[in-house]
Amino acid sequence: MKVETRTEVSPSAWEGLSRFLPQGVTLFASGLSGFLLILIGLPVAMVILMSLRTGFPGEQVPFTLENFATVYLAPRTYEILINTVFFAISSVSITLLIAVPLVWILMRTDIPFKKTIYVLLTIGILIPVFLRTIAWILLLSPRIGLINKWLQQAFGLVDPPFNLYSLTGMAFVQGVSFVPGAFFMLAAAYRSMDPSLEEAAYTSGVGKLKTFLKINIPITWPAIAAVMVYLIMTAVAVFEVPAIIGLPARIHVLSSLIFTSTTPSTGLPNYGMAGAYGAIMLVLGLTLAFLYVRLVKQGKKYTVITGRGYRPREIALGRWKWAALGFVLFYLSIEVFVPFSVLLWASLLPYLQLPSAEALSSLTLKHYIELPTHVGPRPFINTLILMFTVPTLTMFLSVLVSWIVIRTRVSFRGFLDTLVFIPHAVPGILMAVGLAYLGLAYRDYFPLYGTVSIIVLAHTINWIAYGTRTTNSVMIQVHRELEEAGRVSGASAPRVLGKIILPLIAAGVLNSWIWIGMLSYREVTMSLTLLTRSNVVISTVVWQFWGSGWVPQVSALGVILILFATIVVGTVRFALSRIGEIGAAS
Amino acid sequence: MKTLFTRFAGLWLGLMMAAAWTNSAGAAPADDLIAGAKKEGVIDFYGPSTLGPEGAQAIVAAFNKKHGLNIKVNFTPSGNMTRDTAKIVGLSASGQPPEWDIMVVTDAHHGSLWLRKLHKPFDYASLGVAKERVEYDNGTVSVANQFALPAYNTKLLPAKDVPKKWEDLLDPKFKGKIGVINSTHHWGRLAAGAWGDEKTLDFIKKLSAQKPLLTRAGEMAQRLILGEVLVSATLQDSQLHETKESGAPLAFAEEVSPVISPEYHVGVLKNAAHPNVGHLFVTFMASADVQPVWQKYTGHTSAFVPGTNAYKFAQGKKVLYMKQDQAEKVDKIARQIGKILGFD
Repeated sequence: MKVETRTEVSPSAWEGLSRFLPQGVTLFASGLSGFLLILIGLPVAMVILMSLRTGFPGEQVPFTLENFATVYLAPRTYEILINTVFFAISSVSITLLIAVPLVWILMRTDIPFKKTIYVLLTIGILIPVFLRTIAWILLLSPRIGLINKWLQQAFGLVDPPFNLYSLTGMAFVQGVSFVPGAFFMLAAAYRSMDPSLEEAAYTSGVGKLKTFLKINIPITWPAIAAVMVYLIMTAVAVFEVPAIIGLPARIHVLSSLIFTSTTPSTGLPNYGMAGAYGAIMLVLGLTLAFLYVRLVKQGKKYTVITGRGYRPREIALGRWKWAALGFVLFYLSIEVFVPFSVLLWASLLPYLQLPSAEALSSLTLKHYIELPTHVGPRPFINTLILMFTVPTLTMFLSVLVSWIVIRTRVSFRGFLDTLVFIPHAVPGILMAVGLAYLGLAYRDYFPLYGTVSIIVLAHTINWIAYGTRTTNSVMIQVHRELEEAGRVSGASAPRVLGKIILPLIAAGVLNSWIWIGMLSYREVTMSLTLLTRSNVVISTVVWQFWGSGWVPQVSALGVILILFATIVVGTVRFALSRIGEIGAAS
Repeated sequence: MKTLFTRFAGLWLGLMMAAAWTNSAGAAPADDLIAGAKKEGVIDFYGPSTLGPEGAQAIVAAFNKKHGLNIKVNFTPSGNMTRDTAKIVGLSASGQPPEWDIMVVTDAHHGSLWLRKLHKPFDYASLGVAKERVEYDNGTVSVANQFALPAYNTKLLPAKDVPKKWEDLLDPKFKGKIGVINSTHHWGRLAAGAWGDEKTLDFIKKLSAQKPLLTRAGEMAQRLILGEVLVSATLQDSQLHETKESGAPLAFAEEVSPVISPEYHVGVLKNAAHPNVGHLFVTFMASADVQPVWQKYTGHTSAFVPGTNAYKFAQGKKVLYMKQDQAEKVDKIARQIGKILGFD
C-alpha cells in the first residue's frame, strides 16, 4: 500500500515537498546545533573561565592572565610541547602501522579464525591501559624486564636493549593500546569498500601488497585520516601511560602537566594552570578540527559505496595466509595474551613477583575470595548504566549530526561538525572539571553533581567527537544516488535516513556503540574528577586500588571484569548481529 | 583522733564533691553532643582507604556502644587525599556544604583546610582530649602516626648496603636504583624542623642527581618488591605494613634519623551536616579504645598513646612531628622540592 502511495507522488507534489524539505532540515539542524552548543559550550566555557582565574572553582576572584603568563613564558612549556607532539605522532604511527594491515586482513581477506580474532580484539579493549602498562614494565623495564634479561643473556649484552622509560617506550605502549580503537573505526570503511578497483588491479596482475598500498589505502584515506586526526588528539590528551611510564622517568607531556596541576604531589590543585595548559590543547584541537572539516568537504572524491549492486568479496590469501595469521597473532600477543597473562599471574600471587619457582609455590585465590569485601554491587550497577546509556546517547546524536554534515546542504553544517569535534580538543579532565564547576556553582539549575548522570553527560560529550568521526566516515561512502532514489520515490528525509542510510551504516554504528560502551567502562579520568560516594564506577575502584598499591587485588578484579565484559559484549554482539549483517552485506 | 577522722572525712567529702563537679562540668557538653547526635543519627566519614568500610564500622560500633547510640556510618575511603581536600575547598567556595562530616587525612592536608578556615572547631580538651593531640586551633585531633623512612627490599639489598643515615641515599651505588615517592612534604618537614631550608634543598638537589624513579607511594612499594629500585628514599609504614602482611620482603632502614612522622588527624568540617555526631566522634577517636582498630586495619597507631606500636617505635628515636605553625612553610617548600625532583 505504501509503495503505491510513493509511486503516486506527482512531480509537482515532489517539487513542493523538496521546497519545504530544506527548510525543515535547516530548522532541525538549527535546533540540534543549539542543543549541542549548550551541551558542549557550557563546560568548555567553564574551562576557559578557569584558565582566566586563580583559586578554586566557585571562588569569586577577578580575571587574570597570570596563568597564561606563567605557562607561556616558561621555556619548559615548549620542551614539553615538543615531547607531546613527538609522543602523539609516534603513538599514532605505531597504531596505524598495525591497525591498517590488521583491518585489511580481517575485513578483506579469507584469513581463518576471524570470529575468534574479533572476540580477542574486543577483549584487548577491556584490559585497562595501566594494567597493560604494568605488564610492559615487567617485560621491558631496563632493570627487571624479562625480555631485556633474556636478550642480554642470549647475546651477552652489557646494557639492556630496550628502555621502556623513554618517549619511544611510551609511544609503543600507547600506540599498541590504540589499535583496537583504530580497528573499530576503520573496520566499517574496509568492510563496505567497493571491490571493483581491487579486482581490476588483480585482473591486471598487480600483487596483493601493491594493491593494498596503491588501491586500498588511497580509497580509504578519508577514514584513515579521520582516525589519525582523532588519535593524535587522543594521544595529546591521554595521561595513564605518561603517568605510569613518563612521570617516573621525569618525562613530561602536556597531559601529565595537567594531571599534576590538578592532582599535585603536595598542596592543593592549580586549576588555573591546568586551564592554561589545556588552552594549548584546545588550539591544537581546533586546528586539527579545521583540517578535518576541510578533509570532509572533499569526501565526495572518496565515495566507495554506490547504488550499484555488489557484495564485497574476500580476497584469497593463498600462501600468504600463514604470514597474515602470524602478524595477527603477534599483535594479539602484545595486545591481549601477554597483558592478560600478566594480569592473571599477578591476581594469583600474594604480592607482585616475577615468575619463579618460589612465586609458583605461593599461588593463591585469596584475592578473588576477598574481592566482595572490597567492592560492593554499586560500582558494577553504575558501570552497567554507563556502558548502555553513554553509547546510546552518543550514537543517537552522532547519526543525526553526521546526517546533517554529510548528507545535507545546510549552510552551517561545517560549524556543526566543528562544534562536535571541540570536545575532543578539550582534555577529558578539563571537561569534567567544567561540569563539576557547573554542578557545584549552579546546583539549583544543574542538579547532577554527585550522580551517575553527570558522568554519563561527561562521557557523551567527550565521545561525541569519536561517534561523529565514525558516522561521518561511513556516511561519506554512501553515494548520494541511493538517497536521491529514495527521495524521488517520495520518501521524506527522516524516512530516507531511517530506511536507506541507517541500514547501510548500521555495522559502523554498532561497532562504535560497542566501542564507546567499552571506552566508558574503562574511562577513569573524568569519572575520578566527578567522583562522589554515590557515583563510584568500576574504573575508579580500579584506580583507587592501583593508587593504594593493591596490584594483586586489582588484577583479580581486572580478570573478573574482562570475563564479565566479554560475556556482555558477546551477548550484545549476538543479539545485534542481524543489524551488523545487514550493514555488512549492503 | 576523732578530730583527725572528721578532718579526713571532710577532706574526702570535699574531694568527692570537687570530682563530681568536675565530672558534671565535663559531662554537660558531652550530654549536649550525645543528645544532638541522637537526632542526627548518621555520620559521613572520610578516611584512609586502608581503614576500609569494615574498620570504619568497627570504630562506629565501639562508639555507639560507649555512648548508647545507634549512629549509622557512610564511609568514603580516600582515593586521593589531595583531590578530596581540594573538593572540600571548592564546595566551600561555591557555598555548598561538604560531602563529609569528618575527614581523617594527614596533618598536611588538614593544614590546607585550616589555612582556609574550613574546620568547625570545638574545645576537645573540655571533653578530656590531651592538649598535645589537639591541633589547628581546636580544629583537629591527632589519631595516629605514620612513620616515613628509607625502605628497601631485603632480598635484593645486602645488609651492608642498607642506609644508616639520610646522606647514605646519595651514595653513587644507588644512582639509577633509587626511588622517590611523591610525598614531597616528607622533605618539607625536614626543612621546617631538623634540617632547615638550605641543608634540605642541597640534599634534594643531590638526590635528584641520583636519577631516581618517581612514583606514588603505593606504586613504589610494588617497584621495590619487583626490584626496579633497590631503595626508596622514603616510604610510609602503611605501605610497609600492607606489603609485609602479604609476605613481601620490604623493610625500613631503621637506623636513619630523624624519623619523619606525618600524622593522621581527624576534624569536623565547616558546615558539616552532622556536627554533633562529628565532634563526639572526634573525641572518641582520641581515646585509647580506637587504637586497636586502627592497628588492625591501617597498621597505624598513635605515638602519643602509651602501649601502642607507634609509641614503642618512637621510644628512643628522634621523631619529627609537624605543628600547625609549620604547615604553611611545609606546603610551600614541598612544592619547590617537587619541582626540583621533577614531579611537577
